This record gives sequence, structure tokens and C-alpha cells, in this order.
Amino acid sequence: MESFNVAFFCWESMYAERVGGLASAATNLAETLAKNHEVHYFTRGWMPDQEINGVRYHYCRPQGGNTVQYCDDMSNQMVEQFHQYDRKGKFDILHFHDWHPIQALHQLQDRDTILTFHSTEYGRNGNQHGDWWEFRDISGKEWYGGLIAKRVTAVSSVMKNEVMQLYNVPDWKCDVVPNGIVPQQYRAHLDAGDVKRAYGIHPYAPLILFIGRLVYQKGPDLFIEAIRKVCQHRWDAKVIVAGDGGMRQFLQERARDLPVNFIGYIPDSEYIRLLNACDLVVIPSRNEPFGLVLLEAWSAEKPVVACDVGGLSENIDTFVNGIKVQPECESIAWGISTMIDDPCNAEILGRRGRSKVDRVFLWDPIAGRMADTYSRVSG
Amino acid sequence: MPDVCFGFEVHQPFRLNRFFTPDPKKKKKDLPELYFDEMNREVLERVSEKCYVPATEIILSKLDEGFRCSFSFSGTLIEQLEKWQPDVLSLFDQVARHRNSELLGQTYYHSIAGCFGDKSEFINQAGMHTDLMYDLFKIRPTVFENTEFTFNNQIATHVKDMGYTGIFTEGVDRVLGWRSPHHIYTCHDMPVLLRDIQLSDDIAFRFANRGWDKYPLMADTYADWLAGTSGDVINIFLDYETFGEHFWKETGIFNFLSHLPAELEKRGVRTTVPTEALQDHAPVGTIDVCDTISWADIEKDASAWMGNDRQHAAYSAVQKAAAFARDKTLWRYLQTSDHFYYMASKYGTCGEVHNYFSHHDADDAFRTYMAVLADFEKRNIRVMKNRRSARTLRTLTCEEAFHFASDHGYVGYAAYSLDQFCDLLRVVPADSIAYHQQRGDIAHWIEEMLDDKKLAMDIRNCTDRQELIGMVNERRELLWSHLT
Repeated sequence: MESFNVAFFCWESMYAERVGGLASAATNLAETLAKNHEVHYFTRGWMPDQEINGVRYHYCRPQGGNTVQYCDDMSNQMVEQFHQYDRKGKFDILHFHDWHPIQALHQLQDRDTILTFHSTEYGRNGNQHGDWWEFRDISGKEWYGGLIAKRVTAVSSVMKNEVMQLYNVPDWKCDVVPNGIVPQQYRAHLDAGDVKRAYGIHPYAPLILFIGRLVYQKGPDLFIEAIRKVCQHRWDAKVIVAGDGGMRQFLQERARDLPVNFIGYIPDSEYIRLLNACDLVVIPSRNEPFGLVLLEAWSAEKPVVACDVGGLSENIDTFVNGIKVQPECESIAWGISTMIDDPCNAEILGRRGRSKVDRVFLWDPIAGRMADTYSRVSG
Repeated sequence: MPDVCFGFEVHQPFRLNRFFTPDPKKKKKDLPELYFDEMNREVLERVSEKCYVPATEIILSKLDEGFRCSFSFSGTLIEQLEKWQPDVLSLFDQVARHRNSELLGQTYYHSIAGCFGDKSEFINQAGMHTDLMYDLFKIRPTVFENTEFTFNNQIATHVKDMGYTGIFTEGVDRVLGWRSPHHIYTCHDMPVLLRDIQLSDDIAFRFANRGWDKYPLMADTYADWLAGTSGDVINIFLDYETFGEHFWKETGIFNFLSHLPAELEKRGVRTTVPTEALQDHAPVGTIDVCDTISWADIEKDASAWMGNDRQHAAYSAVQKAAAFARDKTLWRYLQTSDHFYYMASKYGTCGEVHNYFSHHDADDAFRTYMAVLADFEKRNIRVMKNRRSARTLRTLTCEEAFHFASDHGYVGYAAYSLDQFCDLLRVVPADSIAYHQQRGDIAHWIEEMLDDKKLAMDIRNCTDRQELIGMVNERRELLWSHLT
């Protein structure tokens, strides 16, 4: 296999400034690539440069009055640092993540560059266009990045189509490289009954879990209405909604007569406990570019009922490793009932999900796919 | 018409003592009694009476009439027979020396050593088995059958280097693709005989299944199936206990066995032994097996022994125990595949099979195994040179293990050694680590359980996860360098 010198440009990383899911996705990818390639990671941070698990981190400390200025400043500092380490054009591949370092991409556009779309501004805005200046600026940067990068990758086919439609990125230029997962981080060995009891739930009662921000995009309202239907024939079903968001008040109001426990934001350890104790994970999203929760549930060998949208639609095989439903409450209720009424089958679907994770979504094969994209650029 | 090559795996493990508790007063010579269950003798006696004696008598008479088949005896079975059932051993002796039978090689301890990263133990155990076969029966096996048919490219290469002329494994679809298992293939230049899953399982699993549309299976029907198959050689490989133990004699399994040779002869189907099959038929293609395959369950991979976290913990612990094993014999008993099989947590049809073969449930099996392994290491540490380092690196029992928790309770990860602890630090949720560091649990555990004051001091005030991983990792590498 060809070995590359890769430079990552990403505004967050797991060991310094960490904002959302992008940090772990980019860091894991970098660490896995570092097994066969040399990887330098340019990002933000307040500590001195360091090497962790084979990846060299170079930190910068940007400033700016607003997000766009801040990111431009960050890009400029990154480029400066990049030139320090780029003696004799050492780096073969320059890999940019999302719009934040687009200014750096602009300055280094003559090199072999790759831009990865983890999401788009349009998607983050709930699949709607905005009319304020940041929206237009950021969308503009995304378009410009897609134009000048030598190659583009997206985390799912849905994301790829979105990028192609929004920013006119040609099909030949865009590859799909999904996110990976470290399944061990989500599979724990504990007594489900103990955890349920801690929430006042009988060990044999089916526990349905929703995890995610309580915002329109994630469909918690559909979920609550679906639960109302499920409870009509399963009085013993219990529900935990983990996560917080603008819709919480409204949802709690709606769910007053239902066995739903809103536990708000929970730390990771509690998430692991609940994930491994529950009997079913429901992902009622209206839009989901990738849907990491799916991989997390599968890692814990849990069956999944999810809406037939975005990355979820691509990755779930109905009745093989989960059930896909329409984003409407009757359909979701049907999916939930089908699962909890046949727990033996549900368990099998969950285990098949895990084997799909082990087959498709480990970081090693995914880093391999990314390296293929690298060779397409440099070749 | 293809030849048919019958093979029987005959094995009994030394099951671990379900009621094991460490007893420092026990001397070294008493350890087998302390570690292994009394029921081993009962099981052997029961299986001998129900299976080994009646089935072997039938097969002996059929061998005289020209029926041919092969046997694979594990070393642990032979030991048990020598101790408790010498008469059965003499029956097997007649079978083994019979001109129409062939003996197969395997690992003496029916162990999972073939999957270890370091293959020297595997080679040693295969050598021990050959020596045993030669001492008892004056025969050196030339065809190999690895534990439960576990097989991959590396195993093929090593078995070839040991001088065997062929090896048995499972005819797994994902390896063969469209090809038939009824031919000889080679894997890295090693000739491979592939078991026919369907026809073998017709006897091994479905024979007495009343829900099966072919029930009851008669010898003539089965002989028809074999005669109607195309190819060079059909390999039917079974657990010997299928006859009389898995299926009691009331199911008619013995009638089936005693009529099958005649029915085959009537149809002109020749029975053969592996060595001759390999001589008579040239390989028709190559197979490439990167991921380990086996004959277990529907997955046909190593997941029956290395499927869940606990099995992985036990598997890596027993590999690490190599550095502690001054007494190699006991360590080798602990490598027997059955111990790991009992820890499986699969459900459905395979779960039933696992339960059937197990004398205790999966949790209990794991707890017992770790307790015995921990006791074994502790005893060996007494005579080791670097006792301090060894004590820190040893395997712990379930009670001594570090259980990660948060203020809500157990999070579901437990570390049974410093090595595993270091690996888990990368995996467990950050807030759980923070919780323990705040309470000083980690330093306390390292000092009390692992006897490492220096490391305990170093990490006491460390709040950064990466730094913590770095320190623990550095320390364990240093300690390991003392042991090797």
C-alpha cells in the first residue's frame, strides 16, 4: 500500500477543543490512518504541540469577532504552521473537514486537497435555506470549497446528493466514505435489570430509549405520539427520553399521561448504562445525514426502529438488522410494537446489527477507503 | 461416485471445579484435584457406557468387514481413560491399530493454542500429541485435525511445516463460494479436506429431530444421498459422542451406524481414510482463509470461543499466563477449548447447544475460570525471579477486578489485569474515569490489588485521560520487560 504524508485541517479534535461529533470522527480517522501513513493534524488548542497515538497535533489560538472571522483567522494560522512543517513539499495529501478551514484550502489550493462534508449549513439549519449573512457566508464557503478541492467526500450517499445539488459538485469528484465507530466503547456487560430498577422500571418491562437533542429535526414529537399508540396495547412498555432541547417543555406536556421519563442531558457513562439496559432504540429523525446513534445502538447489540431517511435509510436492512418506518407516528408505533412484541426476534436483529458494524463500520476498513480516495487524488 | 471418508472426534475436557475456592494449604500435587471437577469422572463413566463402548464395538466389527474410518483422540481424553476407564482405552487401542482405521493428529490439550499470536505453544502441543499416539499405539498421525476444526492460513502453514500431509477443516460457504467441498483443495500448499456440513449435520444434529421432514433417517436413505453425490471425496466428520450420548440408543442411532457400512457397500460407495483420499485425488483448487473458520454454530468462525468480552478477557489472560507458567501442564489444561465454549452468551439454537454441553452457566464459567487462572498464576509467582513485576501483571479474579462505575452504578466494564485496565482506559466513558480519580479508586486498586506503590503514587493526581493512559502503559511495558 502506498504511504502518504497527510495533513488534517479541522477546527476540533478529541484531545483539545472539542465541540461535537466531528472531533471524534476526525480524530479516530487520523489515528487509524496513522498506522500506515504519517498524519499531522492542524487544529485549535491551548496546549503545546504533541503526539498522541501516532498523530502529530499542531495547535493554533485564533481570535475573531464572529464565527466567520474566527475561522478565517484560524485558517491563516493553520497555513502558517503548515508551511513550517511542509519542507520540500513534504505533504502529499491535504485533508480539510467541513467549512471552518476553507480559507486555508483557498491558500493551499494548488496542492492535492480533499474536502470532507460531515454536514452542510443547509442541513444544520433543518433542511432550510436561511437569509441571514452567516448562513450565506458559510454556504458560500462550502460551495467554494467543493469547487476548488481536488476531491470531495461525504459521510453518506444522502449527504453526497445534498452536496451535489446544493453546490453543484460533479458526481465523479465525490466519494462516499462513512463514519466509523469503536464498538467496544458502547458495548458494556451489565445487568439490565439493575439499571432498569434504578429508574423504577420492572426488570421484565420493555424499555424503549430515545437519545438525541429534543429538536424538530430529531422527531421527538412523532415519537411521543407513537408511544401513545403503543401503550394502548402494551401497558407495561416504559420509555426513557435522554437529551435536552427547545421542545422539552412541549413534549413533557404532551407526555403527561404516558410512561415517559425525561431525564435530560446525561453523562456518557449513564448513556452506556441505559444503552445496554434498554430493549429497543428508536431514532424517529426527520432528517439525518449519517445517524451515529444507529451505530452506537448496534454496537451494543440493540435492535433499532428508525425512520427511512438519510443515512439511516442507507444503512439499515429492514427485518435483517432493524426496522425502517415512515416519519409519521402510526408507522413508528407499528415498528415499536413489532419489536417489543417479539423480543427474541428483536434480539437477533440487534446482534445482526453488531455484525454489520464489525463488517462495515470499523475504522480500519474505513480508513482504507479514505486512503483509496487519497490515491485517486495523488494519482 | 465419490469415496466417503468418515472421521470421529473423541474428546473429553477436564472441566473446572464449579465450587473452586483458593486453598493456600493445598500442595502442588493436589492442584488437579482442587482445580478440576469431580464430575469429570462421572461424565467419562457415563459417556463410556452409553457411547464409547457400544459404538466402538460396532465400529470394530465393521472395520473387520472392510469399513474404513478415522479417529482423532485428544490427549486429555486418553489421560482420563487411563485413570478411570482402562478397558475403554484398550477398545480404542484395537481401533487405532486396525488396518482399516487411521489416527489423526491434533493438539494434546484440545486447545485454542492454534489461534494464539505465538504459535510455538501450538507446535509443542501437536508434538506432544504425536508422541502420545506413538507411545500408546505406535502410530504417528500424518493428517491433522485442529481443535473444533479451527483453521486459517497461518495454521495451514504451521501444520505443513510440522510435516503433516493434510488437514481437516469445515467446508464453509464463504470460503468455497460456488465450489463443492467434495474435492481436495490446498491452502498455502497444504492439502485440505473439507467437511460436508449438510451431510454431517444430518447425523450430528438432525438425526432425532422429529420436526425434520426426513425424520426418521434410515441408513439406506442416507447411503442413497451419499451415492447420489458427485465429487471426489465426501468428508463426514462427527463428534463421537453423537452415537449414544447426544442421541441415546433409543433413537436408533446404533442401528443406523451398524447398517450404514453394508448399505454403502450395496451401492458401491467406497469408504476411505484421509491419507488415502489425499493420495487418490489431486487438489482441484486453492482456498484462502484470512479469518479463522471452525465447525462451531452457524457462524462457523471462532466466535464460540472468542465471541464476547469475557471470552476475550479469558483468552488474552491465558495467553499472557505463558510468562507465569513455570508449571506448563496445568497452564495447558486451562487452554482446552471447552472452558471458553462454556462462557459463550449466544442465544437461539446455538445457545441451546452451548447449554447442552456445559455444566454451568456462562457467568459462572467465566468466574470459575478466572479464579482458577488467578490462583494458578499466584502459585507460580512464588517461584519466579521477578516476583514484584509478576504480581502487578498477574490475572485477577472477578472479586479483585477493577469495575468501572459512575455515581449511578456499574458502567459495565471490568479490568482483570493491568494490561486490560490500560486498554479499557481508552474505551470507558471519560466521566467514569474522572469519577474514580476523584475518589482515588484507581490508585487504591493499583496499590492494594496489584502491589505497585510507585504507579499508584504517580497516577494519583493525574486528571488527564491521555496522560493516565501514557503512564499506565509505560509502566506495564517496563514491568513486562522484566518478565521476558
